[in-house]
Amino acid sequence: MEQSNDKEGHDVVGGHFDLPVKKAINFSPPLYRQRYSFVNDLVNQHKPKKVADLGCGNASLIQMIKSHSCLELIVGVDINKDKIGSQRCRLSPFSGEYLSPRDLNLSIILYHGSAVERDSRLLGFDLVTCIELIEHLDAEDLARFPEVVFGYLSPAMVVISTPNSDFNPLFPAVTLRDSDHKFEWNRKQVQTWALGVAGFYHYAVEFTGVGEPPEGAEHVGYCTQIGVFRKVGAPATEPCVAEQCGQHIYKIVYSVSYPSLQQKEVRKLALANEVSRQVQSMRQRYVSSLRILQRGEGNGHQVSDTGLVTFSGPVFTELEKLKIEKSPEPFRFGNKLYVPLERLLAYPKVNRLCDSVDTMRALIADTVRLSRDGSAVKVDLRDASP
Amino acid sequence: MTGRARVRARGITRSPSATAAGCLQASPTPVSADLSDNEASSNNGCEETSRISQQCKYVVSPGNAESTLMKRGGKIFPDVMDLGVCTREKLAHVRDSKAGSSGIPVKLVTNLFSLDLPQDWKLYQYHVTYMPDLESRSMRIALLYSQKELSNKAKAFDGVILFLSEKLEERVTELSSETRRGETVKMTVTLTRELPASSPVCIQVFSIIFKKILKKLSMYQIGRNFYKPSEPVEIPQHKLSLWPGFAISVSYFESKLLFSANVSYKILRNETVLEFMTALCYQTGMSSFTQMCEKQLVGLIVLTRYNNRTYRVDDIDWSVKPTHSFQRRDGTEITYVDYYKQQYDITLSDLHQPMLVSLLKSKRNDVEARMVHLIPELCFLTGLTSQATSDFQLMKAVAEETRLSPQGRQQRLARLADDIQRNNDARFELETWGLHFGSQMSLTGRVVPSEKIFMQDRICQPVSAADWSKDIRSCKLLSAQSLNKWLIICSSRAENVIENFLSCLRRVGSSMGFNVDYPKIIKVQESPAAFFGAIQKHVDRDVQLVMCILPSAQQSYYESIKKYLSSDCPVPSQCVLVRTLSKQGMMMSIATKIAMQMTCKLGGELWAVEIPLKSLMVVGIDVCKDAFNKGMVVVGFVASINLRITRYFYNDSRALNKWYEYNQGLPARIIVYRDGVGNGQLQTLLEYEVPQLLSSVAEASSNTSSKLSVIVVRKRCMPRFFMEQNRTLQNPPLGTVVDSEATRPEWYDFYLVSQAACRGTVNPTHYNVIYDDNGLKPDHMQRLTFKLCHLYYNWPGLVSIPAPCQYAHKLTFLVAQSIHKEPSLQLANSLFYL
Repeated sequence: MEQSNDKEGHDVVGGHFDLPVKKAINFSPPLYRQRYSFVNDLVNQHKPKKVADLGCGNASLIQMIKSHSCLELIVGVDINKDKIGSQRCRLSPFSGEYLSPRDLNLSIILYHGSAVERDSRLLGFDLVTCIELIEHLDAEDLARFPEVVFGYLSPAMVVISTPNSDFNPLFPAVTLRDSDHKFEWNRKQVQTWALGVAGFYHYAVEFTGVGEPPEGAEHVGYCTQIGVFRKVGAPATEPCVAEQCGQHIYKIVYSVSYPSLQQKEVRKLALANEVSRQVQSMRQRYVSSLRILQRGEGNGHQVSDTGLVTFSGPVFTELEKLKIEKSPEPFRFGNKLYVPLERLLAYPKVNRLCDSVDTMRALIADTVRLSRDGSAVKVDLRDASP
Repeated sequence: MTGRARVRARGITRSPSATAAGCLQASPTPVSADLSDNEASSNNGCEETSRISQQCKYVVSPGNAESTLMKRGGKIFPDVMDLGVCTREKLAHVRDSKAGSSGIPVKLVTNLFSLDLPQDWKLYQYHVTYMPDLESRSMRIALLYSQKELSNKAKAFDGVILFLSEKLEERVTELSSETRRGETVKMTVTLTRELPASSPVCIQVFSIIFKKILKKLSMYQIGRNFYKPSEPVEIPQHKLSLWPGFAISVSYFESKLLFSANVSYKILRNETVLEFMTALCYQTGMSSFTQMCEKQLVGLIVLTRYNNRTYRVDDIDWSVKPTHSFQRRDGTEITYVDYYKQQYDITLSDLHQPMLVSLLKSKRNDVEARMVHLIPELCFLTGLTSQATSDFQLMKAVAEETRLSPQGRQQRLARLADDIQRNNDARFELETWGLHFGSQMSLTGRVVPSEKIFMQDRICQPVSAADWSKDIRSCKLLSAQSLNKWLIICSSRAENVIENFLSCLRRVGSSMGFNVDYPKIIKVQESPAAFFGAIQKHVDRDVQLVMCILPSAQQSYYESIKKYLSSDCPVPSQCVLVRTLSKQGMMMSIATKIAMQMTCKLGGELWAVEIPLKSLMVVGIDVCKDAFNKGMVVVGFVASINLRITRYFYNDSRALNKWYEYNQGLPARIIVYRDGVGNGQLQTLLEYEVPQLLSSVAEASSNTSSKLSVIVVRKRCMPRFFMEQNRTLQNPPLGTVVDSEATRPEWYDFYLVSQAACRGTVNPTHYNVIYDDNGLKPDHMQRLTFKLCHLYYNWPGLVSIPAPCQYAHKLTFLVAQSIHKEPSLQLANSLFYL
């Protein structure tokens, strides 16, 4: 729920302060980024499919984690409608994501709503993050919060971060770090609250934090305290719950879905691109091998490693190499080079996109020229252009 | 002549700009004053960055008070700036009407949509100050937007200037807000101006509104255009992806505010730098690989797929590998492989690839440039290289996908209009501003009478003005010098085609009245040096023409030959590819074409049209950037020197003398067609170029000086016209003139359709008469322009711009691409640059 003035995080240090007032304590990278990195690492480690960020603000955390291939649904919820909207175009897919699409579908949805209200669309998540959220809740909301997040949403994992008031004396003249903070707890208070909640809703909690205290003040602990809650004996999530008691209270502010190889059209295009790329590179190799043959061996200086420069082109594992070598080789007939589909399928990058020669043929038939029997891709050898 | 050259010669397409094909204007940058929406426009295409700097120097502040708007860091749109240049009011003869009269009226559908505003609509401009002052723009915006007074109002705010469509109660409004830190910030909102809807500032605000709307229709902004990445067209064999989209603009046309939309395609390259390097490696072999790689890659702009940023490749570091580590900002060391894995969940497949090096220019000057390493595997190439744009197959494939028939275009437009009208968010946005998105506009144009083509022995009325090659097949050319002493230089590969070609050439020559004797044939080896050597050895003063039959389209052949024969040893030259001469079935038409070109290069005239104005000199001016030295601009000047306007002279300082020589007197009228004027340069043109032209005309004679008119020619303009016929839309007929509704009230301008588009949609050419002493009737001006479009000798048909302009373009293109210096004056009388 805080503002990061500098979107790239280049030069603002301790970037969670609204006004550019020099602070005695600077964090590098800025504290908000350290918090996001913490979540990013968790995602990396636990590979959740569905993540919800409560109090997502301008969705910078979502922006940061969205590139993880394991993710299929990311939801952001915030009570401040203006803020959710502000950066949303940064959540839409980049052009690169159309050119080289992800494996799995990904949707990102931003809702306008409160973290202490129940919305069934947030059921069945693997990870719910509440970064610097609870300190913005008043007593009443704070009391409802565990019941909604742990009791109702009941995700496999919850991450809660909040300021550590033990650290505050190190800041010059600060009572609360933000005017909207209703409270700031010390480590003891946080742990008491968290253990209580965890015990009641059958979660195990670990405490950690980000923002190391400066030398000589180690006793105050991290600047931001983080509790990682994991459901104890969590059964597999029941996806049907969502449908059973559908209550949709949140309002959708933004939603986007990413192109992925799960979408047939996208896969088709990606495969056609990859196939023609491989075929062209084979054609090129074939043409240059002819050229070398023509010139004779007098010109055999092509491997003149200067020691520094090694450029190998694509790298294959032993297994992949074997697979490629075993597959039928490209052959020439007249002016045409024929590359058997089986050969193409042996290349890992093609193989990733389709599992059999038949599917490949079906997918590329209308974009790539095939031999008459449909077993090979046909290219012209004459055209000199690369 | 290759197919590409043919297309260019006809002036149908200039190779599409490297970033986007279709119909975009040479647009400058996304304007920095993105008021109100802090949704940063994410990136810009590869050329854009370089354009900023060039564009900047042309930014002249329009003389009216409105320009104060963007003085804080922002720029006014250059095309909006041009609109502030009111040239018509100085031209008395068109003050009341600039409409022509001749021709048959034709009903046309346009790509313009009306935007309706309430009668008394006004835009209120406020100035906002903060106490204490705040640096951060986003903070300023957030604080102001949190105010209840402003919450349901349509607003646009850039941090200083606030635009509202409704007036606040007070002229000065004091607001106060609290930051998260608990500090109270006072904001003073002061009304500075009330702007009528016709003000250029409003146009800019309207553009911002539409930008927002198109984003709401989930379109993706690149540069100034909007694209739909969800419906891509792929061209796998050339590793290209095309995104369909629109170039849009809002502006005031003759009587009302109109929204115009043009279909545009964004060309993305579906190829990573690593793939490019691999291909290059196979192609060149290891020995010259690193060198070639650097030559091809350094200077290119690449797009990183993980964060969508663009970087310029400044170097390649062959010693750094992805497995090496670097220092992160917090001081810890991490390898590139781990970094990308952790940060973006990307697994690198090739751990031996070298690194691209890019220097990041700091926004602040005091910090030295930071160097970043980029992984080739994660970088996409952007833009089309000159190599790609000269690849005929590639450009053909792109053209096939991007070319839309008028009907197809109309469908896209209708869908866009429908989307804007139906989308709730979009409608809401328009409504809060008081705008109403109206219907597509139709107007009435005129088809001016067709022209007769004058040959030596007959006058013919072509069946189609698009191509009269058949009509004149058996006619004699107006004048042709006979070719007695000439050379053919060829490689041995061309031997078997040469005899057949020569016999065809002589046959077509004799029927045209162009006598071709047998040439001296010199056989050389297949290398640029061998060709060059042969030319040096055999060409002397008596040689009338040198024909080189080139084995390949390699630039070095053409360049060295043209350079030498255009300036060092001025002799007309004709280059032909062996491949062209090997096309058996087309030999006669190829020979005809070559014979015509040769005639022109020897100073002949092919055909003429009737020009009723006596003592008229027409001038074409075009500019082109030098291919090597991008900072250098080549200006081409071509002037007619005879009454029939069939002969031209290229040197500007002596053109009037030449005219005098030929016509025993100075021309009574001079009409200058000026091409190559960028957005926002109109004022400069008026302030510098027109006075210069006037003074050189005045210098030429002491008593009666010639009357001058200057017309700015633009091939890229927003409006498109379609003609409805048999319930489908078609291109308007050749000679269609539009001089109402889609024109601008402050200009003496008109559109003319003078080119045929057999496939795709025709682009009308826009003519803006910015200076006119001659006082010709608009109708005469339009018809003269149309006539001049018939006189380009590289194509037996109409071309998109007047012939002198097209000649000037050819000349500058030759100088900028190949010879890089001024051609010899000895050739100045002939069309040696065809």
